[in-house]
Amino acid sequence: MTGPTKSDESDGDPGSAPGTARTDPRPDGGATEAAAAEEWSRSGTALSTAIGRPLLVGVVALVVAFLTVPVIVTFVSSFAGSAAGVVPKGFVTLEHWRQVLGFGDHGVQANAIPGLAFSLAIATGGMLLNVIIGVPVAYALARYDFYARDWVNTFAILPLVPGLILGIAFVQTYPDHGRSALGLLAGYCLLKSPYMVLTVQSSFQSMDLVRLEESARSLGASWPRTLLTIVVPHAKRGIVAGCVITWTLAAAEFNFTYMVASGSPDPFAIFLYRNISNATHLQSAAAVSVYFTIVVAAILVLQLLGNRGFSTAQR
Amino acid sequence: MSVRKSATASVRRVATLASTTARPTTERERERRRIAILCLPFFALAIVAGFVPLAMLVRISLAEDTIWMEGWSLEAWETLATTPAYRRVAWNTLWFVGLATGVSVALGVAVAHVLEKYALSLERLVVAAVSFPIALPGIIVAYLIVVLLGRQGLVTNAVAVATGGAPIDLASATAITGLFLGYVYSLLPRATMVLRGTYAEINAQAEEAARTLGASRWQTFYHVTLPEIRPGIVAAVILTFRSGLAIFGTVLILQSHRVVTLQIHEETSVGSYSPDIAAAIGLVYVAFIVAFTFVGLRFVENDAVEI
Repeated sequence: MTGPTKSDESDGDPGSAPGTARTDPRPDGGATEAAAAEEWSRSGTALSTAIGRPLLVGVVALVVAFLTVPVIVTFVSSFAGSAAGVVPKGFVTLEHWRQVLGFGDHGVQANAIPGLAFSLAIATGGMLLNVIIGVPVAYALARYDFYARDWVNTFAILPLVPGLILGIAFVQTYPDHGRSALGLLAGYCLLKSPYMVLTVQSSFQSMDLVRLEESARSLGASWPRTLLTIVVPHAKRGIVAGCVITWTLAAAEFNFTYMVASGSPDPFAIFLYRNISNATHLQSAAAVSVYFTIVVAAILVLQLLGNRGFSTAQR
Repeated sequence: MSVRKSATASVRRVATLASTTARPTTERERERRRIAILCLPFFALAIVAGFVPLAMLVRISLAEDTIWMEGWSLEAWETLATTPAYRRVAWNTLWFVGLATGVSVALGVAVAHVLEKYALSLERLVVAAVSFPIALPGIIVAYLIVVLLGRQGLVTNAVAVATGGAPIDLASATAITGLFLGYVYSLLPRATMVLRGTYAEINAQAEEAARTLGASRWQTFYHVTLPEIRPGIVAAVILTFRSGLAIFGTVLILQSHRVVTLQIHEETSVGSYSPDIAAAIGLVYVAFIVAFTFVGLRFVENDAVEI
């Protein structure tokens, strides 16, 4: 629940003073010359006062339209019958979704379900592996102060190697196993681990780790037991949020998959690529919409967990 | 003599450190062991999946025979250093991503400013709309640009109807403007994310004071707000530029500008297969990203550039 309340605070505070020169009440509690101040503090003649706000709101409206209109149009037109003309026509048909998912008589892929299941299974595996590697590092970084902590932190939270390079290096290094589920698993896990580390770290930082640990230790619990049964369960929300983020991003990780995937079966990212590069417009729309639904579901889950969404920075 | 002595001394110190970490006797050593245990899984994966493959790239770039990994030669590096085409790719990448970064950060400042300073009725919705694209991979962004500017695209059709032109002539998804918008689409949400965090922390009283003293809105922004958000802008530029360099899916679909990721893809495709050059480009590319990030981190706090 921290997310919404936090953003509420930040809206409310400056929202009450949107540049209109609110005068603070005098510290002695007496009446201020608010009316007079209101009058002379407005420099209403300045050009930026007259056009600044409409201009900025216009820019924001344009940005929001740019970011959302294609998403909405894609989702809506995936249910359309034909796309000739300015707007799609012939609602509502599930034909494109059926073709994309492999139930139609034609389409880019005869049966997409095994590939989708394969990719989702790998994303799940990468997510579980991320819990194993990410939670301990996040705990070490949040709890202890040690030599080279900054370096470990930088390595753990910054995705320094792009997925494309990692993919090429992977295939060349492990020619026998690189193009396999194992290779995809390791790559997804490493590429998405910063999201897990950051999310869990912020959840650790919000608790008093030293006191929690010392109470448990003084009551007789060993260190591993303290870690597994006291500390980690307390960070449950952060871990689940990290899982949702890493899973969703791994499911559609394209750059790495494109270099590594062997094609049997096709991972989800390659499924998207094929449907985008050589399918009809509306069929592509349906394929892309499959991922939209996954993302929206993930965002809803994150909202329920009180996380702000995919942005893990700036808690 | 002394060099050897100090070398043996440091080896001995590392050995002692390792042995006390493995078999600790004091509380401090026990804590060190805990830290080592906690960091071990991450670094095991990072070595297997990250460092070893990167070392292998170095080997490939220096190999004479790239199929069996035999022999040594500097041919790939020489080709990379002497062929003007590669310099052009590097320049293409830098200015294109730099421009996309500039536009994204400027728009990000506008969005963050409006979200923070103005009481908008649909603020939640704007926030959701601006952060949603963070989860979209590059190929989907490319498709969304096609939806807007492709031959059947929304904007294309609208302009065609308004001006009476043919949609095919107006389609610009696979022109460089389309690719540029694709980059901005990916980068703008990240820039906004960082800048919103910065805006939430600035001191509104100084702005109020400036306004009370008669400064116009623009003067207040330029002289008061801008210096306060400058660290956020730097952080946003670092994050955005680094993300922009890694974009591949968008450029693979739209293919209108030869940037480094597309070039690497080219070098590993069947027609012009030269893994040594691909490895060399990849190494330069990774070295640049790492150097850029570390130099950038000197100017801002570490946690401002996350993700």
